[in-house]
Amino acid sequence: MTQPIRCAIFGFGYMGKIRYEALKKHPEVNKRDIWIVEPDAAQMPRDGAGQPLLKNYLAPHEPIPWKQLDAAFICTPNNVTAELCVQALQECGNVFCEKPPGRNWEDFCRIADVASAIPEHRLVFGFNHRLHPSVQAAKALIGQGGLGEILYIKGTYGKSGGLRYRESWRNNREVAGGGILLDQGIHMLDLVQFFLGPLSVADAILNDSFWHCGVEDNVFVLLRSEDGVPAFLHSSATLWKHTFRLEIGCHDGYLIASGLLSQTGSYGREQLVIGKRQFEDEAMALGNPREEIIQFDRDDSWDKEVNEFIMSVKERRPARHGTLDEARRVMQLIRDVYALSSERQGVMARRA
Amino acid sequence: MRSIQTTSAFPLSSVKPLDGLMAYRSFCLATTRKALERSRTRRTTSPVDGVTPLELLGDIDGIPYARCPSSGSIFLAELPSPSEWADVLRQVSQYRHSPKTFHADLAQSRTDHVYAPKLEWIQDALRLQGLHQPKVLEVVTSPSDFTALLQDSGLCSEVVSIEETDVAHRHVRDEHPGQADVAVLLESLDRIDDPFTLLRGLIERVKPGGLLFATGLVASGFDMATLGLRNRYLYPPDRANCFSLQGLSVLLKKAGCSLLEVSTPGVLDVEIVSTHLHHDPSLQLSQFERSVVEADEETRKAFQTFLQQQGLSSFARIVARIPS
Repeated sequence: MTQPIRCAIFGFGYMGKIRYEALKKHPEVNKRDIWIVEPDAAQMPRDGAGQPLLKNYLAPHEPIPWKQLDAAFICTPNNVTAELCVQALQECGNVFCEKPPGRNWEDFCRIADVASAIPEHRLVFGFNHRLHPSVQAAKALIGQGGLGEILYIKGTYGKSGGLRYRESWRNNREVAGGGILLDQGIHMLDLVQFFLGPLSVADAILNDSFWHCGVEDNVFVLLRSEDGVPAFLHSSATLWKHTFRLEIGCHDGYLIASGLLSQTGSYGREQLVIGKRQFEDEAMALGNPREEIIQFDRDDSWDKEVNEFIMSVKERRPARHGTLDEARRVMQLIRDVYALSSERQGVMARRA
Repeated sequence: MRSIQTTSAFPLSSVKPLDGLMAYRSFCLATTRKALERSRTRRTTSPVDGVTPLELLGDIDGIPYARCPSSGSIFLAELPSPSEWADVLRQVSQYRHSPKTFHADLAQSRTDHVYAPKLEWIQDALRLQGLHQPKVLEVVTSPSDFTALLQDSGLCSEVVSIEETDVAHRHVRDEHPGQADVAVLLESLDRIDDPFTLLRGLIERVKPGGLLFATGLVASGFDMATLGLRNRYLYPPDRANCFSLQGLSVLLKKAGCSLLEVSTPGVLDVEIVSTHLHHDPSLQLSQFERSVVEADEETRKAFQTFLQQQGLSSFARIVARIPS
């Protein structure tokens, strides 16, 4: 593809705006030709006189100029993700879809089935956390010549909800399809998979103990890799202090990624603790090894993610991350966690 | 850009004890003084940007130092001729490696606490940047204690040592320009008479996009900022230049490098001030400075960690990318 890439963004909420900013500065994208499809006109930026700043704005009932588009970004609530993904795959063949890839396994399979019928498609899912600097640095330090192979992973990812938590579509089962596991926990699942490869669910506990939205506000998942490496994650909407923490224990040391460079900075400064295993022969105090702490001050994960998608379209090659296979494996885990929980609830109900 | 802090801890006495330092320091000052008596040129502009006029700051045992007002960096105010300076560096390096100095007595301890962490830093940075088995150019006034460690580490495909004054004074033409992947300058920028030319010379020798590792003592760090010219660890020729962290960053950017890591993971600032106070109880310190250095161990440790985190320790480490 030699011409600049023409894009449309479906949904101009939090994520749509982030994608727009990344696309605007990409050298291979036609900046004046980014279409925005958004049902809520109030989301559109306006000048001092109240006039829309973006000219290529479409309400959903208006015809989409598919013939003028090379790629679509699906940044909508989960209940329309699958439908729009399918349409965009069929119309222009190049789709970037925010996580989660649908409300549930069935939604995901709809997308995957259509994608498999279009041989030259590009379909990338937004799992930007694996491109965060602390995670990339951790990945580089694991393995031969570094900290050795992984022994275990523990992850915590949580937010505090807030006064309008119950009103958010993210916590409405009909719209979102699930709770905090599908919202934030999916990122942690993707990260564990990024480090350990394919996983299976060993056990899980879901709870809706505080917000009572009808979807889980806490989930604890025990996972196992194909090599038998255990992983444990806690995803929560009742962590009153916003938390991101990924602990990776290795043969020759450990890594702790914590904090996230986000727009609000509420998850704290992003950093990676690197600890080297030291026994009595190397350290004065056993169990208190020397640590190095890398502090990061720039998150280019959004730019990297968009760049990889745009370049895969431009160069007509598969993307290197956010692939259909990676999304499938994560959605399988989520399906299995929810199934396990339903099964448990059934048993409890029968016992009662 | 990243910054790094460390929980590593070791006493000042295990790497550069003040008592042991004094004889070595006297030799350094005497050697510099003799060279200056033979030839001297005043440094008029700051080595940071080559433009800002230097302001006279004071002297160390009669040898004048000047300050760059825009960056807070401190520089030896006068320099002998380049060939004299190269001789001074050679004599001092040979003396440092003689049995007459504390360095010999503390060889193993210095390897463990000074050089091994630097090697680990380079190793981790190479992994983070995806560089495998690079060809390394080590910039030294020979002999260097670090060369053998680098060679034995298995990190590099090849280690080539090059005299820093040869690069800075353009004495040797590089037969194979742009062949190294990495350049390592352990405190070279502190002692070279022309830091900018040294950096430009290195950039020519390293592949575009390669890495540069630099360490140094910085004037913006706690013990330097507190003690200034009273700091016994500040003396020529080893500390002919004492850039501030900002000054060092400006210099590297001016040479065309982009900064990947700027850290001050020093662990000795508080102890250095404390040791100076112990040696000279009449040392003039502010009430705040005195309360920090006389505080309990937990407070001192927490303050040192704060200095590391905020780029305020006097030991600086920088990883920069050579321009493509």
